[in-house]
Amino acid sequence: MKSDMSKIIISEEDFLKFREYFYRKTGINFETTKRYFVDKRLIERIEATDSGDFRSYFIMMRFQASGAELQLLTNLMTVNETYFLREDYQFDCLVNSILPELVKRKTDNRPIRIWCIPSSSGEEPYTIAMYLMERWPGIHQWDVEILSSDIDTGILNKARIGRYSARSVMHVPAPWLVKYFTRVGDEYQICQDLREAVEFTRVNLAEPTDTRGYRNFDIIFCRNLLIYFDDLSRKTAAEVFFDALIPGGFVCLGHAESMSRISSLYKVRKFPQAIVYQKSLESR
Amino acid sequence: MAFIKKQAQPSTEQTQSTPETRDCQSLLKQLSSNDSTERRWAARDLVECPECANALMQRLKIETENSVREVILTTLTRMGDPVAIAGMVDCLRSEDAALRNEVVEAMKQLPLEVAPMMLGLLADPDPDVRIFAVNVLESLCHPEVESWLISVITYDAHVNVCATAVDLLGEVGTSNAIEPLEQLKARFNAEPYIQFAADLALRRINEI
Repeated sequence: MKSDMSKIIISEEDFLKFREYFYRKTGINFETTKRYFVDKRLIERIEATDSGDFRSYFIMMRFQASGAELQLLTNLMTVNETYFLREDYQFDCLVNSILPELVKRKTDNRPIRIWCIPSSSGEEPYTIAMYLMERWPGIHQWDVEILSSDIDTGILNKARIGRYSARSVMHVPAPWLVKYFTRVGDEYQICQDLREAVEFTRVNLAEPTDTRGYRNFDIIFCRNLLIYFDDLSRKTAAEVFFDALIPGGFVCLGHAESMSRISSLYKVRKFPQAIVYQKSLESR
Repeated sequence: MAFIKKQAQPSTEQTQSTPETRDCQSLLKQLSSNDSTERRWAARDLVECPECANALMQRLKIETENSVREVILTTLTRMGDPVAIAGMVDCLRSEDAALRNEVVEAMKQLPLEVAPMMLGLLADPDPDVRIFAVNVLESLCHPEVESWLISVITYDAHVNVCATAVDLLGEVGTSNAIEPLEQLKARFNAEPYIQFAADLALRRINEI
């Protein structure tokens, strides 16, 4: 029999205990203002697992060998959505800090290579393409390759098609919307030029044979993916990126993710717009 | 200048440096290469050669390049076989503090594999090894963690080992730990830190 939800109470101590643990495991820190959001999801899982109270649930989750419950809770605690220009301060960082630094030290005419993973339905790589066109003068001097990968072939097909809801494009500046999209009923179709600017590929980051060929990237965007991984998978991903980058290349993670907690391979770079991670120039 | 798509494929250079025919013997040879990139790629690909766990452990003990060490440990963790675990346990005795810390972190990822060795580690004659074993318990997702910690604070004669265990019990302890904590306070009644840490643990447990 399911317990009565109204009888399950998450005390202040429970919340703090959970918050500290969750932060340590995922890097996600909940402010006290998020208390209702956290409590609601905790109670949902306490009920679903018939744990009865927070204490039993917390012990079960913490010591479950498979880590499945923590993963499930992580999924619940994160809002898995994407849209154009999401966390756009990182794109500002790309065009105002990262790319200028990269081209300044460039000694060859090799194209600048950007890898975007996960691709999801394509909003992020297309945003990068638009940002480069609109806010980076260097696009007239340098060739750029944008590669975007995901494990889900269905979502990759959606990305290739490039048809989006009004909600997905709500942050796109009006002039960009006119320039790069065509309204089709209630949806927005991204233009052919941008569709041709991004190559979409299927990749499983945990599979060495999938990632072996991904090398010589200048910049990697991997935002809001590693929070869904366990520690070992995060470390594996960090090492894949390290091998995929040129010396001096950059990794951009999501706002709640920190490479410092995953791997010591990277240097932290604090740019005015964002914190990113760099493979040192001396690395090979 | 513009966007390029036709070249936006996985780099072909990779195929040259890591050909598809990467058999275990070749990888083992590359693990000793003078080129750190070659060693790192060998360490990464050796995950498919479980019989090479011992060679990876031996390389780990002498490897100086941080990026190669990290990949070797990740590969050993992914293997998680008895040879890899035994090698990690061996590294807990190393004089190299960085290596010990890296191994502790790796062992935390392997609760089921490490569990059978935990009682032995917690009874090791070397108190430093016992402390590292408690450090492993800190994030080890295993249902026996509390009972192992209770056993430490009940029987271990070394104050630093007990102190490390008490700190962790403050976080994960239940009512089962209350009496052992009281007994610990009595056993080390002249040790201010034990009194403080045990009181803190008791307060936290009683708050729940």
